[in-house]
Amino acid sequence: MPVGVDLYLKRQSWLHRVDPRVKLLFVGATIMILLVIKNVFFMSAALLLVHVIHWSAKMPRGKFLFIWKTLLPIAILISTLWVLFYPTGPPILEIWVIRITVLSLAQGGVLALRITTMAFVVFAWLYTTDHPAVVRSLVKLKVPYEWGLTLALALRYIPTFQGMYGMISEAQQARGLNISQGKGFRRVRALMPIFVAMVISAMRASDQLANALQARAFGASGVERTYLHDIHFRPLDWAYTVFILGVTFLILYMNLRLGFGKHPINLI
Amino acid sequence: MESNGLAHEVGDMCLEATDLWFAYEEGPSVLKGISLEIKVGDFVALIGQNGSGKTTLAKHFNGLLRPSRGRVLLYGEDNREHPVAHLARTVGYVFQNPDHQIFSATTREEIAFGPRNIGLEESEVQQRTEQALEYFDLTAYADHQPAILGFGLRRKVSIAAVYAMRTDVLILDEPTAGLDWKSTHELMQRIVALHRTGHTIILITHDMRLVAEYAPRCLVLRDGNILADDDTREIFRQADLLRETHIELPQICRLARRLEPFNPGRNILTVAEFLEGYGNLAERMR
Ligand SMILES: Nc1ncnc2c1ncn2[C@@H]1O[C@H](COP(=O)(O)OP(=O)(O)OP(=O)(O)O)[C@@H](O)[C@H]1O
Ligand SMILES: [Mg+2]
Repeated sequence: MPVGVDLYLKRQSWLHRVDPRVKLLFVGATIMILLVIKNVFFMSAALLLVHVIHWSAKMPRGKFLFIWKTLLPIAILISTLWVLFYPTGPPILEIWVIRITVLSLAQGGVLALRITTMAFVVFAWLYTTDHPAVVRSLVKLKVPYEWGLTLALALRYIPTFQGMYGMISEAQQARGLNISQGKGFRRVRALMPIFVAMVISAMRASDQLANALQARAFGASGVERTYLHDIHFRPLDWAYTVFILGVTFLILYMNLRLGFGKHPINLI
Repeated sequence: MESNGLAHEVGDMCLEATDLWFAYEEGPSVLKGISLEIKVGDFVALIGQNGSGKTTLAKHFNGLLRPSRGRVLLYGEDNREHPVAHLARTVGYVFQNPDHQIFSATTREEIAFGPRNIGLEESEVQQRTEQALEYFDLTAYADHQPAILGFGLRRKVSIAAVYAMRTDVLILDEPTAGLDWKSTHELMQRIVALHRTGHTIILITHDMRLVAEYAPRCLVLRDGNILADDDTREIFRQADLLRETHIELPQICRLARRLEPFNPGRNILTVAEFLEGYGNLAERMR
């Protein structure tokens, strides 16, 4: 990944044109739904749906692969742990102390799918919304500008830190640090020279950033901010909002009243 | 410096790249078929515009990057066959930004890190560390936290840390950027001393005065290609070639060029040479 590039990708797509506040609502609503629902089929469908959304918003394949590459190890780890340590229901396989059940497989699957889907939802928001728009949408929702900017800066720095990690790891390897040695705790110890140098660099960077912001009169009191590009709700955005709220309430209602998606395998 | 323990004779083949191509993932080619030879004991300046591929090329020498096509040989062995941690015994690399390597609680530990990684005896590690501290005038800061030293000192620490590994080859990526003139020259004197004891030096820099003064050989990169590879004196004679890649000769060279009609046949690189050639110019013009 090139150093210092942020998550946002400029493209012409319907999702790019959607008002950032609607996207924020979408992220919030989906995360809520994903936390409430515990059904493996529903989760699979949701994951498929975000993929369709990404694809219709012209996400390049490289980004899909990048997200998958990052998430897959975590997802597999979590679901494996679940399957091994929380066996419930009748077993389909028993080896020594290990008991594997259909139910725990489904529950493990739900966990893995939930994390992956949530990540894709958040990425769909960040890949299609530039930082100024993120900040402005938060400000319009009455979040103080400083907070909005802090969040945007944090997002902005994720790729910077990735690049920093790459360079520091190279610098330490060039001094003979073997980063692939050992397992578990020993591995962590081997990576210490990289982590510590990262913390130092990060602190230096944040210090400089704070100075640079102040030097350009950030936070001066009694100033009403104006914006270069303001954001406006289009009629279509109202439609999206109504749609998102409608679907969310429907799903939550079905979940509470009819038990929809409460069981890992049976939908109702 | 005491015994340098070099395993090879000056003049032997050290680094050899053949038709080296490289692209960062999904990006365009950054290196486009580079072939070069660097002999043991060479002092090479690697110059070229921002983004011409100097750092990318240098990272192939210690295996941090692996060619997309072509190959790099170090003492006749393909770099791909060894991990970076192994190549680091032979090729030292000082990074552009000292903060990318400093992590220890004391300067002494920071310097001992590399020698320890290459598996030296503890007594040897300590002896080299003390020697490096002394050589770079850092003894007074040995127990300080290197991360909070001033920039010039951090720079020195980062170089001393690689120096203590006593690698045959030393790559320095813009080691003088951000240093004042005095520190720059003190540093260059130390590098020259290393070179005299048979070390191979590869210096990446944008400072043409340093190139003129210290590097006998010069490799000009442009857009991932080698535009020229020759004696520095020869390359600096071709001002047009350098202008093509937006490199401007040091002022003293340009002045000497303008004055050439008064003193023809001279190809001046440094202030010392200028004084030698034109010291009596004022008298002659009278
Ligand atoms: N990690 C990276 N990922 C993607 N592209 C990169 C990366 N590092 C460098 N590049 C690109 O490769 C090209 C060559 O970069 P390189 O750093 O080798 O140039 P350089 O000659 O060292 O420049 P400078 O004088 O600025 O240090 C540039 O176009 C740069 O944008
Ligand atoms: Mg560079």
